[in-house]
Amino acid sequence: MTLPGGAAALNGALLEARHISKRFSGLQAVGGSDGLSFGVDRGAFVGLIGPNGAGKSTTFDLMSGVQTSDTGSVLFDGHDITRSSPDTIAEQGIGRTFQTPRAFESLTVLQNVVAGATSPGESLRWAFGRSWRNHETEIVEAAQAILRRVGLHERAAARVSDLSGGELRMLEVARQLVRDPTVLLLDEPTAGVHPGLQERLAALLQDLHSGGMTLVVVEHNLHFLLALADHILVLADGALLAQGPPADIRADPAVISAYLGGGDAA
Amino acid sequence: MNWPQLLVTVLTLGSIFGVVTLSLNLQYARGGMINFGIVAYFAVGAYTYAIFTQPPPQGLDQYKFGFGWPWWTAVIVAGLAALVFAAVTGWPTLRLRGEYLALTTFAFAEVFHSLLLNERRIGNGTVGLARVERPFGDWGPIEEKYVFAGAAALLLVATLLVFRRLLVSPYGRALDAIRDDETAALAAGKPAQKMRRQVFLISAVPVGFAGAVYAMFTTLAQPSLFTAEVTFIVWIALVLGGERSVYGVVLGTAGLVFFEEIVRAWPFETVRSAQIAASVEHVVTGLVFIAVLRYQPFQAAATRLKVSK
Repeated sequence: MTLPGGAAALNGALLEARHISKRFSGLQAVGGSDGLSFGVDRGAFVGLIGPNGAGKSTTFDLMSGVQTSDTGSVLFDGHDITRSSPDTIAEQGIGRTFQTPRAFESLTVLQNVVAGATSPGESLRWAFGRSWRNHETEIVEAAQAILRRVGLHERAAARVSDLSGGELRMLEVARQLVRDPTVLLLDEPTAGVHPGLQERLAALLQDLHSGGMTLVVVEHNLHFLLALADHILVLADGALLAQGPPADIRADPAVISAYLGGGDAA
Repeated sequence: MNWPQLLVTVLTLGSIFGVVTLSLNLQYARGGMINFGIVAYFAVGAYTYAIFTQPPPQGLDQYKFGFGWPWWTAVIVAGLAALVFAAVTGWPTLRLRGEYLALTTFAFAEVFHSLLLNERRIGNGTVGLARVERPFGDWGPIEEKYVFAGAAALLLVATLLVFRRLLVSPYGRALDAIRDDETAALAAGKPAQKMRRQVFLISAVPVGFAGAVYAMFTTLAQPSLFTAEVTFIVWIALVLGGERSVYGVVLGTAGLVFFEEIVRAWPFETVRSAQIAASVEHVVTGLVFIAVLRYQPFQAAATRLKVSK
């Protein structure tokens, strides 16, 4: 994890935000006075926390191209992706899930995960041919393996509308994992997920982290996040309030005052 | 009633409009685009075919262009012209969604219709282009009308097979994903805008071909044949057939054309009975639509067809 405070200090991070900001209807959602700057090192497990309205999801939107930053820049692996489209950013290796889980309603659970992958048959040139079928078998097998990994393999043929809220979140994670992203941004992955599935999710995230995937997780469940992440960013009113290892964040008076309301984080 | 003639007409018109409905199905049911101006692409095909096959102007003709090309080259140009028209109209409109796209495409079609009415140098104004030749004569013992119906049916089958091939591929799955949730599809690397534009362009080509075949069938390219009513008929056929099935779309169009043609061809004994029939036609049409939408026979038949395959 790199310290904020200027572009020079951020050099070397895999994913960098440099003085980014976003206003909606004149209200500052992200940025503060000098824009929001932080970096995420390759292979890091970063937690992004903050009270409601702190700008966490908007920050994800700016990093993933869903929104475009008003100022500054977003860099991924040294390339400026500030104005890149979300699909281009996804293709470059940044995966993300959403605060409200999203799914393709007309497809089954397995098809949803398969649709997450990029198949050669998605280009017009290949779609009319037959050679994409060879890749299709590989994609389906990969999707089945990932469904097993997230515990949805028995629901593979189910319609999305039959899934619980927690299962939908796991499906979203699965749909990104089939893409094998370099960085995975997870927006409140435990919201609405029952404790059993949360344990599976925690194990999965640990597994992904130890496998070298870079993770950035927005989460209100601090017990869950502080136990897993190796670095925490705290946002308040769109600005970076504090950052550091979980133990330091738990003890940070500014964080306790602004975010935890004087209680114990863990 | 002359049943063989009726069935040939239904096969010909059903196939021509079936192609347009299939294209609309691709745009709407899979691409998520509401096109209320589909008639314009159909008209572009018809007028292009007429202009490229008709002789140069003479006498009282007010049109300026008549190239006298062979029919098959004009059919190809008709498809290409529809493609170009889709590119020109799609560029400013496809950034819009839902009802905004519907209204804009409708406006485009109305502008084009007005152009055909008023710009005599292109299509002879309200008179239209009436020197469209039918390229198919009798084929041995087979009469021209059957050859024509066969050609129209062939176009329908070819369109069906090409679209089906596209839709069962990962391309079709990506389209479904984009239609279901564009934001999630973008996050999964699907280039939504690009794919929608591709679908808009691809689907315009067979509509252009269908327009050319329609001009051959009617031997006429006239503004009164290409009003918003065509768009609405095709939309109704799409709804009747069930938007999720290409077979349902074809059956829905055939059913609608059959109903319209049987009312038109019914041998009324007296003028009075014909007047009564004309006055109740729309009432009966409405009742039939309600019944079809309630019981969805075309969708059911399409599902059975799909299962049996």
